[in-house]
Amino acid sequence: MRTSSKTVYLRLNPAVSTESLAENALFSGWQLKAYAFRKERREFYDTFEWQAFENEVAIVKKRRTLFLVDLKIGKETASIPFPTAPSSFFADALSPGILKAALSTLTDIRAFTRLCSIDTIITTYRILDDNEKSIALLTSESLCLADTEKQEPFVHLFSLSPLRGYDDEMELMVTSLTNDDNIAKALDFRELFLLIMKEAGISVHGYSSKINLDLDPDAPVHESARQLLQFTLSVMRANEEGIKRNLDTEFLHDYRVAIRRTRSILKQLKGVFEPEETAYYLNLFREIGTRTNELRDRDVSLLRQGSYFHDLPPCLQPSLKLFFTDIAVSRKKLHKQFCHYLASDACKSFLDKWEAFVHRQSVPDPEHCPNASLSTASVAVESIKKAWKRVIRHGRQVSEETTDSELHALRIDCKKLRYLLEFFSSIFPHKSVAPVVRQLKELQDNLGDFVDFSVQLHFLRERLAALPPGKEETLLAASMGALMAILFQKQEEARGTFHKTFEAFDHEKTAQLFHDLLKSKLK
Amino acid sequence: MKTIALYSIKGGVGKTAAAVNLSYLSSLLSQPTLICDLDPQGASSYYFRITASKKYNSDKFLKGNKKIYRNIKATDFENLDLLPSDFSYRNLDIELSEEKKPQKKLRKNLEELSEDYQYLFFDCPPNLTLLSESVFAASDLILVPLIPTTLSIRTYIQLQDFFEANKLDRSKIRPFFSMVEKQKKLHREIILEFGDGPEFLAQSIPYNSEVEKMGLYRAPLNAVLPNAPASKAYRNLWEELRSYLE
Repeated sequence: MRTSSKTVYLRLNPAVSTESLAENALFSGWQLKAYAFRKERREFYDTFEWQAFENEVAIVKKRRTLFLVDLKIGKETASIPFPTAPSSFFADALSPGILKAALSTLTDIRAFTRLCSIDTIITTYRILDDNEKSIALLTSESLCLADTEKQEPFVHLFSLSPLRGYDDEMELMVTSLTNDDNIAKALDFRELFLLIMKEAGISVHGYSSKINLDLDPDAPVHESARQLLQFTLSVMRANEEGIKRNLDTEFLHDYRVAIRRTRSILKQLKGVFEPEETAYYLNLFREIGTRTNELRDRDVSLLRQGSYFHDLPPCLQPSLKLFFTDIAVSRKKLHKQFCHYLASDACKSFLDKWEAFVHRQSVPDPEHCPNASLSTASVAVESIKKAWKRVIRHGRQVSEETTDSELHALRIDCKKLRYLLEFFSSIFPHKSVAPVVRQLKELQDNLGDFVDFSVQLHFLRERLAALPPGKEETLLAASMGALMAILFQKQEEARGTFHKTFEAFDHEKTAQLFHDLLKSKLK
Repeated sequence: MKTIALYSIKGGVGKTAAAVNLSYLSSLLSQPTLICDLDPQGASSYYFRITASKKYNSDKFLKGNKKIYRNIKATDFENLDLLPSDFSYRNLDIELSEEKKPQKKLRKNLEELSEDYQYLFFDCPPNLTLLSESVFAASDLILVPLIPTTLSIRTYIQLQDFFEANKLDRSKIRPFFSMVEKQKKLHREIILEFGDGPEFLAQSIPYNSEVEKMGLYRAPLNAVLPNAPASKAYRNLWEELRSYLE
């Protein structure tokens, strides 16, 4: 009894009984036959960034199986055995198959965490036609939140799944049922999903680390800056829980980016806030950032495990295993330390103080903050222009040898410019911002690669220097040497393409894009 | 996808009963199975209580893949679907003769189904026509139920001669005795004389009045009366086929 691709969910008017549903759904000669009754727990999963939902799929665990469900048609498109219901899992850890492949394309870095558990009481009926042939399954489902005191169903619905080849008959039934709003309303799986999330108190799409503000170009810049700072603070707060629960590396990553963005605003918008206060917060944010550096380094190393193993010949791989075990152990310790700090009174009171600051309504003292009342637009234009010129100036100064320190410094300049473009993007027309960011991104990618390789090299060099003598260590040293050779080669490649990449950025066409942006009619 | 045709020039030899029960047994092993009813009488469709959609006809069947795909219907059994026949199939031969390569038509038309099904059974109409030739080309195995009577054997020899004359692969043909009544001397003698042939399947299907009652249950015998003697015989026959195919 294979059901077709489409399941229709119907939300029955509470006043209507199952019997009258049957009366309305069935044509003459058709009948309803009870088929099965069962209780089922369903667990819903997604990443913190809703990557499954974004791609129109839901991940549901039921009957010891994990299903991928198409949000539009409610069809289960892939499944794998999944006997347990972990609070989170990575796509990488699943057994191979279509489902694993699908989740891996959604993300290979984010954990899929359990959103909520739903208990469902299910009664299935077969709809038989006048030949007594089953043509559809009618399932009555009562849903309630699992593990809560309130065990009352929050929704009662019917799903109608036609058997393969009987879609026409189902269309007729659905039309006949939904013709009259007093009987039932069709509900697609997406609506049902949203209903479940709402009941569980979960806001779908409640998180994005991307800046999505709607700044007013005429508003005084201190107000806009506060809006930005409120946003970066909200990102920090949103990621705390995930960091503590150790779900995946991206919580800490986003947390760090939020700190960097915060510091960047404070540093680049000079004369907007009290200098003394600004210095105080900058200092403390630097401290929090520093506390996360080593932890992030370990995360990055562990994330690179796969490619390191891939780069080495099989004879050198075993020694690397131990190396990564050590990294994982030290990461655990660092994670614990940082969580301890996050829970400390010092950290909490600092962030509370900061929260009060970003929500402060009063106009900063004009004597200490001469730029506070300038319009957002003028500050945006000026600061972007300044940052852009700085990138051009410093980039042109980079020598033929393109030393490490030159590229490191230029990368930071680029980042500052990028942050400004992101902060103020909402006041510019999208079509002017996007091409500028695209050009900048190419340069940033080149510099990012370079710095990335140099950080890895540095990390390996330090580890190598600290290796005690021993037989096993000799092998490990050989592996590290091999990796360093590869990384060095890649780093040199990135260095080698710098001047060409920069030339493309320091080009008339790019300059024109910046001019267009800075002169564009603001929203 | 393995394709098995239930075929005989002669009618009333138990083709449909074998197609329905063997396909059901195949589906029990969680192997997606399709039974394709090619007989305009639509007996196997009837056994599964399925009628073709009003829009479906031999034209659509000849158009192939997508048109066919859309008209496949689920039976009441897990993993078993059916492509119903339509009365218009009685003209399939004429329509086929207007096609470019009629012998290859069926195989081409069912190509896409191989992704969905592991086993495909044809329930063929009794005759030897262009459609039969198309079935021969599309099948991995041609199962021929034979009632142990002179006429049945005669048609079987006709079939072999046809294959010979047309240079078709004779090794695809696997006969088995059907509707066997051991108490009849003639049945016993014919089985003795021909049953040893290497192409003959060892398992035969006994005559069982329950098989006729499938028309009342409108379901495979193996699903309704799994312990009936004929059900057991179908089970053994399926096992024999399976080990041969694998």
